[in-house]
Amino acid sequence: MNASLTSTSDVSEALRNAKNSLRIVGSGNWLDAGRPVQADETINTSGLSGIVEYVAGDLTMTVRAGSTLAELDEAAAREGQWMGIDPVGSTSGTIGATVATASAGPLSHGIGRMRDIVLGVEVVAGNGDIVRSGGKVVKNVAGFDLTRLQVGAWGTLGVITEISLRLRARPEVDETICIALDSRKPLQAHLVALREIPLAALAVELIAPSLAKLLALGETHFLLARLGGNETLVRAQRAALSILGGTSTVEPTVWNSIRAFENNEFAVVRVSHLPSQLENSWIHAYNEVFSVMHAPCFMHSTISRGLVRVAIPKSTILSPDEHLAALTRIVSTIAPPGGHAVWEQLPAQLWKNLPSAVGDDLSTGLKRAFDPAGICNPGILGNSVPR
Amino acid sequence: MIESKFDTSTFDPLIATVENIVGARWVRKRKAELQVFDSDGLPGYRKLPSLAVLPGSRDELIAVVRALALANVAFVARGAGTGLSGGALGENIVVVALNRLNRILSIDAENGLAHVEPGVVNVNLGKAAAPYGLQYAPDPSSQAACTIGGNVAENAGGPHCLKYGVTMNHVVALTVLLPNGELITLGSPHGEVDGYDLTGLFVGSEGCFGIAVDVWVRLVPLPQAIRTLLADFSSVDAAARAVSEIIATGILPAALEMMDNATIRAVEASIYAAGYPVDAAAVLLCEVDGLREGLETDVAAIERCCQNNGARTVRIATTDAERARLWQGRKKAFGAMGRIAPHLVVQDAVVPRTKLPAVLAAIHAISERWNVKVCNVFHAGDGNLHPNIAYDANDASEADRVEHAMREIMDACMEAGGTITGEHGVGLDKLPYMTKMFTENSLSMMCSVRDVFDPSRRSNPGKVVPMHSCREWHGVTTKAR
Repeated sequence: MNASLTSTSDVSEALRNAKNSLRIVGSGNWLDAGRPVQADETINTSGLSGIVEYVAGDLTMTVRAGSTLAELDEAAAREGQWMGIDPVGSTSGTIGATVATASAGPLSHGIGRMRDIVLGVEVVAGNGDIVRSGGKVVKNVAGFDLTRLQVGAWGTLGVITEISLRLRARPEVDETICIALDSRKPLQAHLVALREIPLAALAVELIAPSLAKLLALGETHFLLARLGGNETLVRAQRAALSILGGTSTVEPTVWNSIRAFENNEFAVVRVSHLPSQLENSWIHAYNEVFSVMHAPCFMHSTISRGLVRVAIPKSTILSPDEHLAALTRIVSTIAPPGGHAVWEQLPAQLWKNLPSAVGDDLSTGLKRAFDPAGICNPGILGNSVPR
Repeated sequence: MIESKFDTSTFDPLIATVENIVGARWVRKRKAELQVFDSDGLPGYRKLPSLAVLPGSRDELIAVVRALALANVAFVARGAGTGLSGGALGENIVVVALNRLNRILSIDAENGLAHVEPGVVNVNLGKAAAPYGLQYAPDPSSQAACTIGGNVAENAGGPHCLKYGVTMNHVVALTVLLPNGELITLGSPHGEVDGYDLTGLFVGSEGCFGIAVDVWVRLVPLPQAIRTLLADFSSVDAAARAVSEIIATGILPAALEMMDNATIRAVEASIYAAGYPVDAAAVLLCEVDGLREGLETDVAAIERCCQNNGARTVRIATTDAERARLWQGRKKAFGAMGRIAPHLVVQDAVVPRTKLPAVLAAIHAISERWNVKVCNVFHAGDGNLHPNIAYDANDASEADRVEHAMREIMDACMEAGGTITGEHGVGLDKLPYMTKMFTENSLSMMCSVRDVFDPSRRSNPGKVVPMHSCREWHGVTTKAR
């Protein structure tokens, strides 16, 4: 149903008249991610597509939420600009879903995460009210920042219908290099050496051997760096990085492969701690998975965020029941001590083992303010606990 | 003058309670003592609080706020009082001054994090980070006095936010004391959590959601090299076009500031004289920083952009002293305007960058029409205008013309697709414009969100969202916790 929704007022009317709870869907790429949603109907935003306003000289763009990343990338590229985002998944995903899930990729190192890029949003609240916050200028403190609240709310605080974004001019040179890290040295030695190198990179990503093999880089730990700026700056950074090992140029398409290497068969978790704890987080995650799955997982890390994304494929050795039992164990052990684990993808029956992400009093109150009847993507972030 | 309700014996028990917590010398109750707290950096708003309390520790702060909750009394948290929105003030409220909570709790150089109390002065954090090769990037013009707590409340910006981002982009986690006295943690310094971005929501909430008891902020590396350029133009329009061309190159300057002729003259006539050419219609102050390699290429590109748009001269600072002098004129521009007339109003609208020439022309026309003297000094790189009007508030006719001109300037900025405030906040000053900026539904939702944090509406009451926009008024809860 709802295939005919093409405007904010359509969405507003649909929500005002909704009798049942709703699953909010863009391109449908994220349907297997997050907790299972107990919804009777879907509300599809893919009809809300297109650019509302794009003045290249302002480096800002206002778009409808159902626009695909591909169409926005293309429009920006025509002006020599880009959004500077490379979130998980394919570019057939919508900007609305990217904002709602706060998806980020390796470029978050140099350019920031979705929360740093979104300037304003228009949202239809659960009761059908249209709420706007922020604006389309790059700096704005008018009113409470309801925009930040929508980023990463997974559609539980209403349906995002319009988004204003900050763009960047594309750098003169945009080069991707890889370095095979010497396996005779501990990972920590490489990470410490990296920290000493003055860099202004767009992305610096650590790639585990299993993933490096999948990306056809080789079969050891790799560092992938995306260097942008003028020729002199890029050349100097490349030279500086060569302290870590031999540098070679890689096709930029490698970043697309990292965005989309896993499929629905994978369980995916992001673990994080302080950047100084990265080696611990990295080894801990690898060992926890290997000890019960008896097979390597696929890992990559945005080093400066102390974040490791771990993809665990469906086991080829274990029976389906054993695989589920192994994942159950991983759910309780994968977070590095003192750090955090945020699951992206997990078999439906395992989500109940995780605490709600929005069970505190403030989150419950905010949910009630935006969606009093609790009809928007109920349960996707866990249950709100009544005060 | 409003009579303080604490003069009556009804509130003596509260005074005794807070004096017990912080000690009598840290409670201000006489009118003469309280006048220190009756305004912020905008002289147009004066409100005498009923009481001011200056807790000396986290525990004292918590105890004070819990006592206020129990007594059902409203309060306003206050840092250095340098705000420019009429925000940290009020009548029939208790000022909770956070200046004594000024410890830098830790600096984690390896992870680029600082853990600080709210009363830490912005520039002191920068000084503490520098030996580690790090900096705290947001640099409001008042950074020598303003506090991190106030910066968090206002989501403060500054010239260097063009490249580095505003306060929101640098706050990682906070401990917040809710108005009911409950202590909560938002975000995490030890990695990334899921759930709603309450950290992002809290930053910029102008003291309406509670008090930040401690804050984790990100520190970033100090640049290896800095180059500062001054370009002067014979028309404002040409300077604005140069701004657009610089931004379009893909180079992200650390700062890109513009001053018009009125500002230049004010600065050059003051003790802050920076050597700006007084016959220029506008000057651009542009700074690039980062790695040493490649920086000269960017400097050359920016110089070209200025020349392409008719810059008469482009001067590049060759020494630190010269750079400091060029910046002094910009940073002290407000002070310099103090010489022109006794009073000063400043606005903070942001417009799309391509609209700068049109909006500046409109501001010029408005100032002519109302016969007021507007000086423009602003963050051109992100379209954040700061039109200043120097005037004499005791001249009723002039004050009236200034008010009309300011209102028309704000309307022009909104019509251009801009916003009413980029970094100063709404406070009381921009309250009348909120209904033009946002729909009733949006304002009503903002009220509802505030009520989640502060259902009794006791934390900085009457600011940010006009009261009449709030759908329901539950009244102040009389029930003690």
